[in-house]
Amino acid sequence: MNLDWSVVWQHREQLLAATGTTVMLTIATMAIAVPCGMLVAALRLYGWAPVRAAATAYVELFRNLPLILVVFWAFYVLPIWTGLGLSPLATGLAALSLNVTAYNAETFRAGLNSIRRGQVEAAMALGMSRAQALRRVIIPQALRRVLPVLASTWVSLFKDTSLVSVIAVTELAYVAMQVRAQTFRVLEMLTAMAAIYWLLGYPQAKLADWIQRRYAVSE
Amino acid sequence: MMSTTAERAKGAGAKIIRYRGVIKRFGTFTALNGVDLDVHAGEVVCLIGPSGSGKSTLLRCTNGLETIDGGDIEFEGALLPKDDRALRSVRTRMGMVFQSFELFPHLTAQQNVAEGPRTVQKVGRVEADLRASAMLAKVGLADKAPNFPSALSGGQQQRVAIARALAMEPDVMLFDEPTSALDPETIGEVLNVMKALAEEGMTMVVVTHEMTFARRVGDWVAVFDAGRIVEQGPPPQIFEAPATERTRDFLSHLGWSG
Repeated sequence: MNLDWSVVWQHREQLLAATGTTVMLTIATMAIAVPCGMLVAALRLYGWAPVRAAATAYVELFRNLPLILVVFWAFYVLPIWTGLGLSPLATGLAALSLNVTAYNAETFRAGLNSIRRGQVEAAMALGMSRAQALRRVIIPQALRRVLPVLASTWVSLFKDTSLVSVIAVTELAYVAMQVRAQTFRVLEMLTAMAAIYWLLGYPQAKLADWIQRRYAVSE
Repeated sequence: MMSTTAERAKGAGAKIIRYRGVIKRFGTFTALNGVDLDVHAGEVVCLIGPSGSGKSTLLRCTNGLETIDGGDIEFEGALLPKDDRALRSVRTRMGMVFQSFELFPHLTAQQNVAEGPRTVQKVGRVEADLRASAMLAKVGLADKAPNFPSALSGGQQQRVAIARALAMEPDVMLFDEPTSALDPETIGEVLNVMKALAEEGMTMVVVTHEMTFARRVGDWVAVFDAGRIVEQGPPPQIFEAPATERTRDFLSHLGWSG
């Protein structure tokens, strides 16, 4: 087989910019999905019954739909609902956030539930309100426990951002596929794409492991 | 139950806690079935009796961790409030120590003790830290201030938990089987801290299986069985001349010989 790797170098600027978009999309999605996930988890656990039901419905809907379907749905339905002409990037970000928020909500809920009842009682016996007990005692412990799960969600998300290529977001997968289509250098471009995802993803996974060790709380 | 004020050594002190006909049910199970008991200022009242007899439930009702289904609990002359904010204010005046310590594992010993004053009493960081240091010194753990609970023995964790409760400067201390989860060799260090506290005049309600502690440190002992107090009185009466068959049974099962 005749391989020509120069094609990767020739398109380095496009690939670099696309990689930047991928990283930015990951960071932005998590920046939205972590606080929103916490909020949804809190609503599910402590909300007024109808709010609790709505939060549960949201989680169960988005957790059980294929992400690519949500991406298409956001692309076609969001503009009609909101009346806004959202850019592909904003649409992709919305779809990813909807999906990851649902996952994070479950992660946080499991984390909050894992803190034993005695901890809340100890906080309340000191005179803390439920909100104070949550903020000072429960959430800090729950966060440390869910950190490894959040980190692995992060690593999955980094790879899943490639799905928004279907609505022409110019992230890494989309740009690599475009170059492939223009140059017919299929193997080279797929390999380059794999290398970039792996080189960026592997250190993130290692960093996640380190964070987990650093902040682990033993009882 | 039939004891005169004269027998009650510290009976002259104001009644800090009064239980009147206290009833508590969990579903169909009646955990407390009409409990009457007084706790006077400066007294150490020990609640003894078989497991499941209601001792811990009464303690947990005292600071509102459990709500009661009948009767009254008075604290410092007022009924235990139902309103959440008022109840929280009452809790700041009652320290509680749990069987399983329940230290906050993400905080150091020092931070555990400073947490109540900081978060609940809104005491400044410097003053809360001074208070925490003083309380840790009081329980003999000044050198463990920077340690996380996981690096402490059970006895040390329980002493930190006592310091955490004391840091709120409570009027009463509630102890829920404070030594039941401890290794035998560390029970003594916790009991010594409690004894020192009693000698300072702290009012204490202690659920315990340590009969020697109840006998030597207690001023008043209440024997529980099946959600009722079957007998109460000063330790010599309970341990040397128990009036009821039930108390004799319970003590003989523990191998108590006086």
